[in-house]
Amino acid sequence: MINYKKDTDKIVTLTLNMAGRNINIINHEIGKAFIPVVKHLKAEKAKGELKGVIITSGKKTFLAGGDLDYLMSAKDAEEIYNFSQKLESFFKDLESPGVPVVAAINGTALGTGFEMALACHHRIVIDDPKIRLGHPEVTLGLMPGSGGVIRLLWGLGLEQAYHVLTDGRRYTPNEALKVGIVDDIAKDEHEMLEKAKIWLMKTNEGRRPWHSEGGTIPHGTARDKNIAQIIRKIAAELMHYTHNNYPAKQAILNTLVEGSKVDFDTATKIQSRNFTNLVLGKEFRNMAKAFWFDFNEIKSGGNRPKGYGKFRPKKIGIIGAGTMGSGIALVSVMRGLEVIIKDISKPVADRGKSYVEKKLREYIDRGRVSETEKKMMLDKITTTENSKSFEDCDLVIEAVFENELVKSKVTQEAEEHMDEYSLFGTNTLSIPVSKLAKASNRPENYVGLHFFPPVDEVPLVEIVQGEKTSDETIARAFDFVKQIRKIPIIVKDNWGFYAARVQNTFILEGITLLQEGYTPALIDNIGIQAGMPKGALELADELSLEIILKYEQQAAEHYGAKYIQHPAVKVLDKMINEYKRTGKKRKAGFYSYDENGNKQLWEELTEHFPTTQCNYSREEVIERMLFAQVLEAVWCYQEKIIRSVAEGNLGSIHGWGFPPYKGGAFQYINDYGVDTFIEKCQMYEKAHGQRFSVPKILLKKKGTGELIE
Amino acid sequence: MNEAYIFDAVRTPRGKGKREGALYQVKPIHLLAATLNAIKERNQLNTKEIDDAVIGCVTPVNDQGANIAKAALLYAGWDEGVGGMQINRFCASGLEAVNLAAMKVRSGWEDLVVAGGIESMSRVPLESDGGALMFDPEVQNKVGYIPQGVAADLIATIEGFDRKRVDAYALQSYQRANFAYENNYFEKSIIPIHDKNGLVLLDKDEELRPNTNLDKLSKLNPAFAEIGSWGYDTMALNKYPVVERIEHVHTAGNSSGVVDGASLVLVGNKEKGAALGLKPRARILSIGALSTEPTIMLQGPAPAALKALKRVGMTPKDIELWEMNEAFAAAVLKFQQDMDISDDILNVNGGAIAMGHPMGATGAMLLGTLLDEMERRDLSVGLVTMCVASGMGVATILERI
Repeated sequence: MINYKKDTDKIVTLTLNMAGRNINIINHEIGKAFIPVVKHLKAEKAKGELKGVIITSGKKTFLAGGDLDYLMSAKDAEEIYNFSQKLESFFKDLESPGVPVVAAINGTALGTGFEMALACHHRIVIDDPKIRLGHPEVTLGLMPGSGGVIRLLWGLGLEQAYHVLTDGRRYTPNEALKVGIVDDIAKDEHEMLEKAKIWLMKTNEGRRPWHSEGGTIPHGTARDKNIAQIIRKIAAELMHYTHNNYPAKQAILNTLVEGSKVDFDTATKIQSRNFTNLVLGKEFRNMAKAFWFDFNEIKSGGNRPKGYGKFRPKKIGIIGAGTMGSGIALVSVMRGLEVIIKDISKPVADRGKSYVEKKLREYIDRGRVSETEKKMMLDKITTTENSKSFEDCDLVIEAVFENELVKSKVTQEAEEHMDEYSLFGTNTLSIPVSKLAKASNRPENYVGLHFFPPVDEVPLVEIVQGEKTSDETIARAFDFVKQIRKIPIIVKDNWGFYAARVQNTFILEGITLLQEGYTPALIDNIGIQAGMPKGALELADELSLEIILKYEQQAAEHYGAKYIQHPAVKVLDKMINEYKRTGKKRKAGFYSYDENGNKQLWEELTEHFPTTQCNYSREEVIERMLFAQVLEAVWCYQEKIIRSVAEGNLGSIHGWGFPPYKGGAFQYINDYGVDTFIEKCQMYEKAHGQRFSVPKILLKKKGTGELIE
Repeated sequence: MNEAYIFDAVRTPRGKGKREGALYQVKPIHLLAATLNAIKERNQLNTKEIDDAVIGCVTPVNDQGANIAKAALLYAGWDEGVGGMQINRFCASGLEAVNLAAMKVRSGWEDLVVAGGIESMSRVPLESDGGALMFDPEVQNKVGYIPQGVAADLIATIEGFDRKRVDAYALQSYQRANFAYENNYFEKSIIPIHDKNGLVLLDKDEELRPNTNLDKLSKLNPAFAEIGSWGYDTMALNKYPVVERIEHVHTAGNSSGVVDGASLVLVGNKEKGAALGLKPRARILSIGALSTEPTIMLQGPAPAALKALKRVGMTPKDIELWEMNEAFAAAVLKFQQDMDISDDILNVNGGAIAMGHPMGATGAMLLGTLLDEMERRDLSVGLVTMCVASGMGVATILERI
């Protein structure tokens, strides 16, 4: 488990190599294994036989994070607290054999794994862009549990530690050096060990600042006036972005502030107590479900059609150098693909390449890519006005504007030069894939690849299966999406697919509230406070009221005689036809927009829809807007628009911004309680109509104690 | 039942609470000692006769820390038998001190008490005492505690008080304060501040702006837009989602100024007064203290006033003269609207917008100002009230003898 090697300079190298595993993970086992090692090191030190210690890994990862399965199942506060304190005391042992310890990081170290690296006196990492470092716990609604918060506080100062702990980023070695969580970078294993040794030879004492006389936290503690002011600002900003919905970020800030006012050991206890509190909270369970368990289920290919070999595209073509096409080019070259960008003329196509270059420059500034990498990536892009360049592309994606004729034309032009085996993907928003596929000579190879703007930020792609799209094509599309590190969800070719269809119900419910006499500001404020990225009315304006209505008309068509008109339709009709206010594009929708795009609610809105609901229930307003989405998501599942709850959850979060702290549209039900959710829906159905009726697939769970998973 | 009478009230002039302010040259204890000495001399008091001193102070640290009340008593040379304590009810500390003195006297357990407040905002800046509401992010975000200026802007937004309206109110405050000065309405209570050698440092409120006008006021920048944009506007909307956005109408011109000052009131029962030859000017008829929703924060005065009125079976119509601390224009306008008070009987000599708000001292200052004006107009019942951080409100009703 731990290989022990001592050289002639009295430097001991400990190599972690956990038996029976591909990676080293941090758990009770490793803690236990360290006990005799640390004891031995102390004895060596006492004899004057130890100069320093290097810890490195015998595996590809340095040390992975903690055990989420364990934390998800943990229910007892005392047990969780003791668990986190036990690890902390192991880290404390590690940093105090009396000699300096270097973490020689030769692989990814995240979460608790990185907490161990932080417990070393010096961190050197190999400059391998595949290595990821830091504390992404916050993305799972959690914070480091064992001293890491306090060690970062003492290492970086309060403000910088807060950013590192709350931005949720997994840093590359260069980024990590830039933010200050590692001390040095080496070009390879050999140089890393050499540098470690040099550092150890010139460093005599392994004392940490918090255990030293006069040791101080960089830039000061929360008691200092300037830091106190910074904290105020951070706290206010936190509320601005989270509306008290993300306890992990708040707990990190609380821990840093309180921890800066007490001694180190007490501070780590405060950290463990706050950590325990988060582990027992709902948000961790929801976020871990979506961002860990669901994510891994999708990534492992649970819904990929079976029996088809892995597709490894090398070269792809993109038609249209607009923001979507350029974004797809960017994420593709970053994963090593060759890219042809085609547009009506070469100069227009060149704009796509300039966009990629601009973005890469931003990444360089953050330390995410290097100059050399940027050059390599840009060299992979060819711009053209000629479809002939698509000859050896494995996949061509069109991202031209939403017009059937144009899309058909570019499809046919491209297919002329593509070989029979290649895929054709359409980044359609609302035109059915089956309809567009009619222009294709090989409709079985024709697939919807619905990216979301901004492409480099939204990690989701809807793979749309048209009537004739073959399973093999779906499997290949899945492999491509995975290759560019996006989450693939496979959806049926239905109006709005999954994301836009469900999002529409949120907007419609918001509009219905307006029609019922709720103040427009209230509707949008409460939507945002509930965790939606934008208010329903604001979103309606952005998408255009005509699109909202069009989706609903498609729904009406789909359900035929069974369709009951949504109460929002009348409002949309009035807004569009009577008041001529169709949305942001025309600078007139529910809001009015000035030349700079600043918005203000339309002054006459409350004349046409007078406010009558003065004693509103915040809970009901929130629930109506969230339930509408949750129920539509369940309908999609029942109608097999989506294939799994995992896809439903992540699709809801990344596709239209369903509140992440709820863990997605389906996890929302589990979090609420399946039975109580159903009962509440029935109440709302009685009060507000059939749109709150519960789909069978969920109804049959009632009283069974089962979750929807 | 013992009654609590007011025999005297004094205050220092208010000096600008910054480096160039006239009172920045002296320590806070100097200001408080000056009021103690003035009360002593004006009433020919043997300080042995005083039971206790209650002193309000909002930032009781450093020079104002560790019970400045007792420190000032000793420094001023009062009898060592007189006890002192410092209290903090934020902006209403000085008024609360008087109310507490009244309770001591009315309970019959003490006979003669001095009460007032001190705040040298130039020497001990506001917020330098830290505190959980503002500086503990856990508490702040759980409570929804926003800066007072943003809260005042929130009131203005909800009530529809636009920039013109709050500026117009502010202008009235400046004009009234100037008029009052020109006519020596404050001279009964105000005591000049001297240095050690008897040289005058300040004998008149320093913040007065006789030449201000609406045009000048309208050109000032909103004071709380930036801090609001950090996230405090969002916190306000979280509590008040019917508001589309906060209109930042408050400026340095229509909010209370940062100043230095001290104040003191002599409170006692009838017998003690008679024995010492003190003439009662008014009795403290009733008091009220309570708290309201903490985010909007500045809406405590109306319910506090009503609480005080109800206790003695009165209604707002029974009050002939009102003082409501001008912390922010919107807070006063809201109070005026809620209580339906005519302009002619509210803050008739201006207030903190024109002359400044020396936090802990203001309450006892306003009480003295109210009493002086009641005497000048020969009115019998007046009420003073103050909005207080975190939603509290304090009120005191005076009845002339």
